[in-house]
Amino acid sequence: MLNNTAWLLAAFTAPEDIKMNPQSMLWMLPLAAAVAIVYKATKLSKITARHFLKETAVLFASIVVFIIAAAAVLWFVTWLAIE
Amino acid sequence: MQNVAEKIGRANHGLLLLIIAALGWAVPGAAYLLLGETKRACLVFITIALTFTVGIYVGSIGVVDPVTDGIGILGRLNPWYLAQVLNSPAVFLIGDATAAGAYPVYGKPQEIGQLYTSISGLLNLLCVINCIYIAHAGPGATKERQNVE
Repeated sequence: MLNNTAWLLAAFTAPEDIKMNPQSMLWMLPLAAAVAIVYKATKLSKITARHFLKETAVLFASIVVFIIAAAAVLWFVTWLAIE
Repeated sequence: MQNVAEKIGRANHGLLLLIIAALGWAVPGAAYLLLGETKRACLVFITIALTFTVGIYVGSIGVVDPVTDGIGILGRLNPWYLAQVLNSPAVFLIGDATAAGAYPVYGKPQEIGQLYTSISGLLNLLCVINCIYIAHAGPGATKERQNVE
């Protein structure tokens, strides 16, 4: 038990190995989900599972689509500058 | 819990708002519990605690660093740290442990860790402000605001 606790605490003292590659962009998804959940939790007048999930999913999708659109615009601007 | 809030609110409205702010900062979502909003409290607590935990797991506790190498607008105080301490005063303890630079972290893990821990702090600030608004304007405040929109 003590070993497990020590191992668990030790996991928080050394960073994970995350490579600088396109896949690392996927780390934005849990963060976008957290933002959507907390924002909708503060905004909705009454929280019911179905309504809350629907609203959160719509906001999550909006955030992701906007980020992808922003990335596309930035990529295009960079492409124009280079070409 | 809601009755406690009502009693305090009737006696001293300003004190109630202060208690709500302090409680919301101490434990994310606890202020909603005081206002009788159990579902909101659970959602907020789980999401903010999980986001912060993922942040310090990915980047290690080294991402909570109160001092920077360079001198900026805030002197040697790390601006990210200001957002991170909004999670809970307990973050001061982590900051105290990492201030000496014993847990260095660089690159992508630092970036992800800082973003997760800072954004969870800012989300908690949003919740604290929302709780103060509900306590000040009454339980129907959220509904009225949504109808206006």
